[in-house]
Amino acid sequence: MIEIEHLTKRYGKKTAVNDLTFTVKPGAVTGFLGPNGAGKSTTMRTIMGLDAPTAGIARVNGKHYSDFRAPLTEVGALLEAKSVHSGRSAYKHLLALAHTHGIPKRRVREVLDTVGLTEVAGKRVGGFSLGMGQRLGIAVALLGDPAVLILDEPVNGLDPDGVRWIRELLKGLAAEGRTVFLSSHLMSELAQTAEHLIVIGQGKLLADTTVDAFVNSRGASVRVVSPESAKLAETLQGPGITVTSPESGVLLIEGTEAAVVGEAAAAHGVVLHELRAEHASLEDVFMEITAGTVEYHQSQEGVAAK
Amino acid sequence: MTAATMTDSPAIFTPRSEYKLSGIGLLRSEWTKFWSLRSSWIVLLCAAVFAAGIGLAVAATYSNVGDQGSIPADLRAEAALGTTMFGVALSSMFVAVLGVLAITGEYSTGSIRSTMSAAPKRLSVLWAKAAVFGAVVIVMYTAMVFVTFFAANALLSGTDLAGVSLGDENVVRALFGYVAMVAYLGLLGLGIGAILRNSAGSIGFYVGVIMILPNLATLLPWNWVSDVVPYTPGNVVNSIAYIDTSGLDLSYGESWLWMGIWLLVTYGLAAFMLKRRDV
Repeated sequence: MIEIEHLTKRYGKKTAVNDLTFTVKPGAVTGFLGPNGAGKSTTMRTIMGLDAPTAGIARVNGKHYSDFRAPLTEVGALLEAKSVHSGRSAYKHLLALAHTHGIPKRRVREVLDTVGLTEVAGKRVGGFSLGMGQRLGIAVALLGDPAVLILDEPVNGLDPDGVRWIRELLKGLAAEGRTVFLSSHLMSELAQTAEHLIVIGQGKLLADTTVDAFVNSRGASVRVVSPESAKLAETLQGPGITVTSPESGVLLIEGTEAAVVGEAAAAHGVVLHELRAEHASLEDVFMEITAGTVEYHQSQEGVAAK
Repeated sequence: MTAATMTDSPAIFTPRSEYKLSGIGLLRSEWTKFWSLRSSWIVLLCAAVFAAGIGLAVAATYSNVGDQGSIPADLRAEAALGTTMFGVALSSMFVAVLGVLAITGEYSTGSIRSTMSAAPKRLSVLWAKAAVFGAVVIVMYTAMVFVTFFAANALLSGTDLAGVSLGDENVVRALFGYVAMVAYLGLLGLGIGAILRNSAGSIGFYVGVIMILPNLATLLPWNWVSDVVPYTPGNVVNSIAYIDTSGLDLSYGESWLWMGIWLLVTYGLAAFMLKRRDV
């Protein structure tokens, strides 16, 4: 369980996170979505006690992170790919962290094996590829067998195989009753991994919902291709329903379902060449919802400039 | 949230209880970190070669036979140590740079985020790092100073600096003074690195402001400057490596006192900044 309450973080004049409140629950993968500079990494650093909030609270399982007697067993974090001294080997990096909590060498080898770095464990991290560095970061996060996992862009630099692997890994960890909180700029990736979604833009909360509800929130539309499109459009007119025609013979109908459109066509004897329910992709919804915050932000700046 | 989703959730995972963050653990961690970097080995090797090498080279080429016994015992010991331990004092530069890098390397590579995630109270990391680094320097330099002392003594036989013994007054004190001097300067470097967080800036500050500036300042035409200069962080160590401190600015005890004061100031500031600033 991660609780963020009225969290605000300013760096000088720049506000990175603005009065953010949300909760991440155990037993599910929660995605953290937002455009670059939205404040995702800042929020995660604040949870880990690396950045002090300007105002508000970030708590993990009811406590401030630094109050835990065994922090690595409470929260495992992958914050930035390069949180490792480039001159040290992967094994020694993990071992040094393991020593702080009295974690045995056996566990170090175990996590190296889990992330598939056993063969290169003795090599200096400076020579690692982005994907290998990412795997090492995941090994660090798993080291203390933590109840909460916080992962900033974990699929960054991973090959498709690695992406699938981490997706299964995270789902498995969540199924064990752990809290899994990951940010990603690959929205399609979150759609496949996460059940719950926190969306922020300009440091503000935009949505706190399930992935399904989020995608459906922008309304499914129905696409119809018909030689009698004008006739069909007339019959469909009604409250809450908008009909647009992007090209001749094609209708996009919002505010109703494909079944309703099909029945209406049958009732009026309209010939249909195509009838398809279109769901907005997570990307579409995301672009739409965050575009608003960007505009809002710019008008704010305009006001301030007067 | 509805009651339905609550009951759907699996049992909450309980973390293992056998792992605990501890002071001993942090010391082991810093020990592992120190020795797992190639730079630690290289810089310490350079320091050792420099320290012992210069001392032995000078001792080997010293050929002033003079009139043996013409120099009083205490002056002879002072001259012998000053000659053979010259390299030790100079090698403190390597140790100070290593002290700086021990902490700034964490900031430049980002490993500080891993470190501080494991020990989020932060201060214990600084103490463990300083303790491990200080202990390594003290052990290594104790061995090196005594080996250099005996080797140089052997090389000086037949000259007017021959025959200094550990039993002579204050010789052991002065030898440990050299060890303490290097450890102090190394810890000063680590403290400066913890405050400035930047390798180049910290090394520049150490060399420029701590080592060079006070001695350049004595060229200024004001008398008070030369009264103050002996008390600057880079100069307070001078007295502890002497056998006879009677003619020096600071007495033996004062030298220790001021080393303590400057370490307290440096580490107090470093601790304050570490707690206050974001990582």
